[in-house]
Amino acid sequence: MLLIHCPYCNETLPEAEFTYAGEAHIVRPPDPSALSDDEWEGFLFIRSNVRGPHYERWRHMHGCGRFFNAVRDTVSDRFLTTYPAGQPRPDLASLTAASEPSK
Amino acid sequence: MSIQISSLTPGVLVETRAARVSTQPAPGRLSLRARKPALPALGAALGLTLPECIGQRAAGDGTEAICLGPDEWTILTSADLVAGLMAASAGVDQPHSLVDISGREVTLRIDGPRAAELLSLGCPRDIDGIAVGEGRRTVFDGATVVLWRDADNSFRMDIWNSFAPHLAQLLDIGARELAAESA
Amino acid sequence: MSQYRVPGRGRVDTSRPVNFTFDGRSYRGAQGDTVASALLANGVHLMGRSFKYHRPRGAIAAGSEEPNALIGTRRGPGRFEPNTRATVQEIWNGLETTSQNKFPSLKWDVGAVNDAAYMMFSAGFYYKTFMWPKSFWNKVYEPFIRAAAGLGVAPTEEDPDQYASRYLHCDLLIVGAGPAGLAAARAALAEGLKIVMVDENAEPGGTLLSEPQARIDGRPAWDWLAAEIAALKAAGVRIMTRTTAIGYYHQNMLGLCERVTDHLPSLPADTPRERMWRVRARQVVLAQGALEKPLVFHGNDRPGVMLAGAAQTYLNRYGVKVGNAPVVVTSHDSAWYAAFDLQAVGARVQAIVDTRPHVREDLVNEARALGIPVRLSHTVTATSGRLRISGVRVNPVSGATVGAGQQIGCDALLMSGGWTPSLHLFSHTQGKLAWDDDLSTFLPDWTREDCVIAGAGRGLWGIEAALKDGAERGREVAAALGKPGNPVALSVENDRPGSGVSMKELPTDRNPGRAKAFVDYQNDVTAKDLRLAVREGMRSIEHVKRYTTNGMATDQGKMSNINGLNIAADALGRPAPQVGLTTFRPPYTPTTFGAFAGYQRGAHFEVTRKTQIDPWAAANGAVFEPVGQWRRAWYFPKAGEDMEAAVRRECRETRASVGIFDASTLGKIEVVGPDAVTFMERMYTNPWAKLGVGRCRYGLLLGDDGYIRDDGVIGRMAQDRFHVTTTTGGAARVMNMMEDYLQTEWPDLDVWLTSTTEQWSTIALNGPNAAKLLAPFVEGVELTEDAFPHMSCVQCTVAGMPARLFRVSFTGEIGFEVNVPAPMGAALWEILWQAGQQYGIVAYGTETMHVLRAEKGYIIVGQDTDGTVTPFDAGMGWAVGKNKPDFVGKRGLARPDLAAKGRKQLVGLLTEDRSKLEEGAQIVFDPRQPVPMTMVGHVTSSYVSDAVGRPIALALVEGGHDRMGETVHIAMPDRVIAAKITGTVFVDPENSRLKI
Repeated sequence: MLLIHCPYCNETLPEAEFTYAGEAHIVRPPDPSALSDDEWEGFLFIRSNVRGPHYERWRHMHGCGRFFNAVRDTVSDRFLTTYPAGQPRPDLASLTAASEPSK
Repeated sequence: MSIQISSLTPGVLVETRAARVSTQPAPGRLSLRARKPALPALGAALGLTLPECIGQRAAGDGTEAICLGPDEWTILTSADLVAGLMAASAGVDQPHSLVDISGREVTLRIDGPRAAELLSLGCPRDIDGIAVGEGRRTVFDGATVVLWRDADNSFRMDIWNSFAPHLAQLLDIGARELAAESA
Repeated sequence: MSQYRVPGRGRVDTSRPVNFTFDGRSYRGAQGDTVASALLANGVHLMGRSFKYHRPRGAIAAGSEEPNALIGTRRGPGRFEPNTRATVQEIWNGLETTSQNKFPSLKWDVGAVNDAAYMMFSAGFYYKTFMWPKSFWNKVYEPFIRAAAGLGVAPTEEDPDQYASRYLHCDLLIVGAGPAGLAAARAALAEGLKIVMVDENAEPGGTLLSEPQARIDGRPAWDWLAAEIAALKAAGVRIMTRTTAIGYYHQNMLGLCERVTDHLPSLPADTPRERMWRVRARQVVLAQGALEKPLVFHGNDRPGVMLAGAAQTYLNRYGVKVGNAPVVVTSHDSAWYAAFDLQAVGARVQAIVDTRPHVREDLVNEARALGIPVRLSHTVTATSGRLRISGVRVNPVSGATVGAGQQIGCDALLMSGGWTPSLHLFSHTQGKLAWDDDLSTFLPDWTREDCVIAGAGRGLWGIEAALKDGAERGREVAAALGKPGNPVALSVENDRPGSGVSMKELPTDRNPGRAKAFVDYQNDVTAKDLRLAVREGMRSIEHVKRYTTNGMATDQGKMSNINGLNIAADALGRPAPQVGLTTFRPPYTPTTFGAFAGYQRGAHFEVTRKTQIDPWAAANGAVFEPVGQWRRAWYFPKAGEDMEAAVRRECRETRASVGIFDASTLGKIEVVGPDAVTFMERMYTNPWAKLGVGRCRYGLLLGDDGYIRDDGVIGRMAQDRFHVTTTTGGAARVMNMMEDYLQTEWPDLDVWLTSTTEQWSTIALNGPNAAKLLAPFVEGVELTEDAFPHMSCVQCTVAGMPARLFRVSFTGEIGFEVNVPAPMGAALWEILWQAGQQYGIVAYGTETMHVLRAEKGYIIVGQDTDGTVTPFDAGMGWAVGKNKPDFVGKRGLARPDLAAKGRKQLVGLLTEDRSKLEEGAQIVFDPRQPVPMTMVGHVTSSYVSDAVGRPIALALVEGGHDRMGETVHIAMPDRVIAAKITGTVFVDPENSRLKI
């Protein structure tokens, strides 16, 4: 079970209080009807599926109830950071995480 | 086992040398939602200073509030004051939502020497992360609950009605299990 | 006292005899014995038969790594457990145990013919042997495999025990209470630090329990141990015994399985059999020690062949001499001490056979002084004896040459191939291992967890080294926790450090292709099997493992992995580190399902939500069905009624007079704020701006993909306040979806959502007499067609209770939904039930609700829709606000595929033979087409309709709206049913019955 830091509660808590909510920073277009089929497909279905740091959303379901954003390394399954919804993507270079020492 | 749990019939559900679990009488309970700028006016209408940190509590004359989210508070009061508070807050012209949830949940009082350990049967978070005089919404045995820590070993647990029989069952098993352990 | 019990040795209490049975025969052991130590004290080595060849086997270890001595234990009805390790199970008066894999008896077993047919069962035999002829599979091979498969016998009765679980948070968790763990605890101790130490054994101490000769800090090891345990407990360290750390999960969460009652003669009340601890520790010290490796030679599995360290444990911890005339064979110094200890208690050690040409002088001298014959540069090439070893064949080795064999008589053979650090938990962390050439084993290298390894787990042998390393690691984690740590300086005398060499199979002068030299005892994998696997093309150690099953037994390769690796690496001609290890996975030792289930069994299996009216339903004979997490009254059978009869009666009486229904489970959301109407406009397909206060409307919720997600009636209670209802199962999902849009897409909207599902008990009254029944109780509104027309809502008083009253119908009859504060629901129900008697009121359940709505063509989201149905597919285009600039799903509905012709559309079906269709049955247009037929839809709802006088069904059919009157066919296993496509409304299409 992961530990997740809720940026609203400012507490690091067990994963059991949270639910996953898909990739982050995918903004619903203000006027969907103005989009072409291809653009709408991109919004609706196309996700990045990265290996490594992934921008994603979680909800503190059994806590403050807020959706928030996170960067999680999909290889190590570690959170690099979490931040409130609406904030811009943090710079990956500024995020450090435990990694295997190079030999 | 089928336990009927209702705030209309308060009483002790289980009592052992480890812990006692009892149903509390129904209070008036309101859910308040608002943005930060509206808090002073709403606090004035409700008669207390609304705490701004999640988990913090405040008390007024006959009312008690806990901050559960960045824009969410639960207000406890006596049942006969609910209508008055609803009316008072209706006069606040800043946007907010106040909903009567007096009937939504039942509160269990969990106290006794091993009350905190009893909670560890179903709550994955560290109970000691909740200071005396604070509270948190969290999860217990699969259901969302609000835990109020009133003393080291005295808690209130607010549970949506329909989950209460299931949760009370675990608390019953646990209170006996802990008592057998300290025998 | 038996001749194998050594007075004055061990920690068992021989003054407290314990009687137990093994295979029906009664034995006497001592308080503190395991089944294995007690049997050995009685001279019994034969404890089981192996899985594949049914070879006789005895215990080769003294701990949880034991692969052979698996037994069944019984404690009265329901309390039977197979595959328990006899080396772990403690005895108590009355314990019944049985051996496994034998027929008819352990000593004379029919299955042992497999042993004679040994060549047939070599590596991968199941891939080869059962391949032909094909026709043999069903009749011969599969029954044979099924009969032979499985270890032990599964219990057949329900387990009456309670299981438990608990969360535990601590600063430091130490796994293993041996010298390294104890020193780590001592070094890390600090005010305010919560330290937990766990050990799988019945008492803490680890290797100290087997080495009483050592002196620590000037005191005998056991005295020091007792004082240290007491001191640590006094300092607040929580020490948990009989508790196995079974798995190491993300971010320092460990699972611990505590065995609470298995060692007790009687079961205390209110006490679980086992408890699963979910521990979150800020820092972890793994001090699990090391496991001794067997040597691989022909006949290394005969009862009486045992690890030398195990023999030492049996002697020093349990006071049991495993033989009177043992031989020791080893490639490591440690086994020499086993010989010395046994000689000291009167056994006559027949020889110490060491594969190495040179051994530490002090060891050789002591052996000579004790009169023990020493054979250096020797190998073991065979053992003899049927159910117990009686002799061993020993040969000199000179370079590659194995000399002539010589027979030495013995009653036990103690072997040691050196030690393997126990790194299972470390491996669970995805920690990296590094090969150590000197020790010829893997050592821990790196892990991303906050975790350190101490003592023998890092390849450090001896008590002094373990204490020293434990102390250093303890200070290291103390520092990580922001504490200074304590200096620990402990002198150790009579320590027994040692070294050795790692072997593959021992050299032999015989044909190695015929050797039964076991690597994995439990799965009967031999060295020859591993080499055969390599010859047959397996290159990866993972493939070798799966082809041979080496390391796949319940001991998870604790005995076999390194030996298997050494042999496979030799066969591959590659160095061991390049061949690599297979992955260890949780649990560390076999764990019961009960421990994993914890409290979640029986009546507490899952969360079951109950309404306030549930007790009335239960008392009135309701049959319940689960709906989401809820249990709901399904139907209310009267005496002699089956479900169909009860539902038919409930439907008929509701349409004839009035029915009462508990609708409390419907999801409810209070939408409040100045932007409430804007929010509703954006979420739902329907227009809301013009809905007046006091009116309600059916709302349809889509996903942005255009498909139906949920529906429900929504009332406008005030200009800025909506009372939204959702489906029972969809309540939490809809709330989550709404919060998602509100919080992340439209955070500027001044509107808030509050779940009020449980604020209200909702009682539905339906039928021609519904208004007549309800009206006398209502204050604040008149229940007339004019004052309170269909689709109205109002805040009022019902029977003196504050209420929200809705005039809605999900049946086609005059309908009301009364919402009162939840705890009052039971009282209101009782009032209406009593008052309804004059109208012959009927209580109905969810099945009747389903029938009544289907007769009117109302959909159930999730039954008539499946996540790929649009409002237009469902015939509900009328609910879509075409002039709204946007709503969730509007753009989705314009996707080409959603607007295409030939989509599956919701229609009614009436069968030609008036039979009832099966829900989920597939539909074809032409039943004469060749198989596989083109399926064009399926039946979504199907009921016997009392009102229509025949079964009715709803179905999704390709292009169905343009096929009214056409005949489709539903293929069932026994026949094909023809049905005519109709509209979806079967009863009162003019809605005339809605009028008061």
